[in-house]
Amino acid sequence: MNHPSLRILSKAYIGKPVYSASLAVFRVVFGLMIFGSTIRFWLKGWIDELYIQPTYFFHYYGFEWVQPLGQYTYALFALCGSSALLFVLGWWYRIASVLLFVSFTYIELMDKTNYLNHYYFVSLVLFLMIWLPANCNFSIDSIRKPFIQNRYIPRWTIGSIRLMMGILYVYAGLAKLNSDWLVQAMPLRLWLPAQNDTPLIGSLFNHVWIAYLFSWFATVYDLTIPFFLLNRRTRPYAYMAVVVFHILTSILFPIGMFPYVMIVSALVFFDSADADRLLMKLKTIFTSLPVVLHNSVYSFGRMWQRGVLILFAGFFALQVVLPWRYLLYDGELFWTEEGYRFSWRVMLMEKMGYAQFVVKDGVTGEKIAVNNNEFLTRNQEKMMATQSDFILQYAQILKAHYTKQGMRNPEVYATIYVGLNGRQSRLYADTSVNLANEKDGLKQKTWLMPFNDTIYGL
Amino acid sequence: MRKTIFIAIISLVLVGISIVSCKKDKKEEVTAPSLDRAPMLANYADNYVIPAYKAMVTDLKSLQTATNTFVAAPDAATLASLHTAFEKAYITWQKVDVIGFGPAEDVSLRMYVNTYPVTVTKVNSNILNGGYDLEQFGNKDAQGFPAIDYLLNGNANTIDMFTTDAQATARKQYLQAVVNKMLQKTDGVSNAWTSYRGTFVGATGTDVNGGLSEITNAYVLYYERYLRSGKVGLPVGAMTGVAKPELTEAYYTPSLTNALAQQAMATAIAFYEGKSFDGTTSGAGMKSYLQAIGTKDANGTPMADAILAKLQQAETKLKALNTPMKDAVQTKRPEVLAIYDDMQQCVPLLKVDMVSAFGISITYTDNDGD
Repeated sequence: MNHPSLRILSKAYIGKPVYSASLAVFRVVFGLMIFGSTIRFWLKGWIDELYIQPTYFFHYYGFEWVQPLGQYTYALFALCGSSALLFVLGWWYRIASVLLFVSFTYIELMDKTNYLNHYYFVSLVLFLMIWLPANCNFSIDSIRKPFIQNRYIPRWTIGSIRLMMGILYVYAGLAKLNSDWLVQAMPLRLWLPAQNDTPLIGSLFNHVWIAYLFSWFATVYDLTIPFFLLNRRTRPYAYMAVVVFHILTSILFPIGMFPYVMIVSALVFFDSADADRLLMKLKTIFTSLPVVLHNSVYSFGRMWQRGVLILFAGFFALQVVLPWRYLLYDGELFWTEEGYRFSWRVMLMEKMGYAQFVVKDGVTGEKIAVNNNEFLTRNQEKMMATQSDFILQYAQILKAHYTKQGMRNPEVYATIYVGLNGRQSRLYADTSVNLANEKDGLKQKTWLMPFNDTIYGL
Repeated sequence: MRKTIFIAIISLVLVGISIVSCKKDKKEEVTAPSLDRAPMLANYADNYVIPAYKAMVTDLKSLQTATNTFVAAPDAATLASLHTAFEKAYITWQKVDVIGFGPAEDVSLRMYVNTYPVTVTKVNSNILNGGYDLEQFGNKDAQGFPAIDYLLNGNANTIDMFTTDAQATARKQYLQAVVNKMLQKTDGVSNAWTSYRGTFVGATGTDVNGGLSEITNAYVLYYERYLRSGKVGLPVGAMTGVAKPELTEAYYTPSLTNALAQQAMATAIAFYEGKSFDGTTSGAGMKSYLQAIGTKDANGTPMADAILAKLQQAETKLKALNTPMKDAVQTKRPEVLAIYDDMQQCVPLLKVDMVSAFGISITYTDNDGD
């Protein structure tokens, strides 16, 4: 922090203290949300269904070593749930936050079939939380180690969470600036009539104009809501909009915990003094609560703060750049999905595919038609049939399987049809390419057929 | 200030949209009723599924009677009546196979009724050794229509097999056991529909347990695996390049095979169109629902019509085949492969374009839209 302008920035914003209650309250509600998610996942039997029952798993590029742990996967979820509880309580916070980040992220990396943007969001926030003093107020740690008690923390700590939220919303909004979403009202135009039996408002969804209204509203909402949340005067209305918007999406679409994660996370935009007042009020009722009363400011060590700030700067630079990586690829992003994930592209596509694989003995020429259900779950098959990286991994699975069955040098061919946002399905991959020979990676995939249409916009 | 801008933007958007959508609104009013899933489900349940199982039970009862008569006195006349009853019931099954969801799925009806090819050694060893349990999953390829087909037509002299043959008595018992099992299973499904009907018609949602999801998934699976592959693709070896005539349906009654396939194809079309079981009336169905959603193919034709046209094209070619499938897969390969190609072209249309437009989900797990 030697440059004069940086020093000013540092004094005016980064260093300026806010109430530590804000970060502590966020820690509690966010942790409870993850804890609830874990319990919900467990109770619905999804640990077994998604991570134990399937024979094969689809791995992220570079994370092939992350495997489900068989029956121990339950232990992994137990670890995740219990570290979430410790996180909530602020008990062994640093260790708990690391364990929570690692276990939660490990779970998400086990099978990319289950990729959800909000899981990614949770992982990112948890990463940030590791470095923040979220336990210096309203925590068991602050009882155990009174010297960490502080009523104030540097502003950039809570600011980094707000920035992460802002990036999510703005990029989700930017991703909607395309002709399918705005001009065709796709895919809402297909999804809303499917919900026309919703009580009270259901019959509205038979009308196309509702799909347009929702599409445009969601775009404006995503692009502007962080700014309205930041502004003190608009904040109450903006937060009401957050609640209504996300509750509505949770009624209409099977997006699980996402709406609630967002409703809860948006609380970080409130004035930190509000959180402090809340804790003070609680303290008057439950006098033994560990709420810090003395006006001390948490101070990072000089080197430590500099290190964390550099780390965060790198982190956010990556967050800002990553969603644009699709520009490095030719072809329509929605079609190839090269650079699609980790970019806050949510609910943008109705995409469905049909993939018929044939495996051919490289020596005898004998062919076998593959029944995908013998290898993949329905959900895995659905994801595989529309995404090029899944297709290549599946080709490798088939190659390995049939080699084991005694086939020599198996060749894998596929007839894949994909439909996108109401367009007629068309051939997705070159049927003459031996997919077993294609390497998965970040390079442009040359065996994909062209989309032969244009989606304008970002 | 920002709030004002916000409200202004929203109002502008609203006004803009209402102007844009004014023209389309009228058309929407006309098609809106057919986006209603409850009447469609009721039409399928009341006018197709329930009568279909009733008809199947009736035909199987006739088959049972004919079997008992034949077993009591096996001769040319009783065998001929049995043949007639067998063929009639087998044809009716082609109208029932497409509705393999709900109670039928619960008891794996299709497995007991029509798993082919029949495993002849299993049938014969069951007859020879007795003590078989047709309920067992392992016996699924030793019963149903394919087993009857073998028992009635798989030997040079059928009457001898049921009179003078050493295993004649055991064979009679086996034939009766197979027919009784089919009747018992089908009757069970037919009765189960009495109570399931309410559940089915009431499940108007598009989640994985919704009626539309049940019906569509069963239909698409049936079309792809049991109609396209089962009746044409596997015997002709469309994907492997090697004909396997022994995989044809009704292998021992080649004169029946093509009729079965034709009936199945006609059923696939009628069911898509929402026709009643007897074919006399048309109601709300997958086609009208798709029409209401309004997706179009690459040429701008409504997808609902494009699918019908493709199905009909396949049906026309299938009807034109006048050599029994078992022989045709070897002697008329190009013709059979052309039939297969047409049938295959319907698969992505149904499995991708129709299902995608319906917006039905396939699992309970969360997703944020691909």
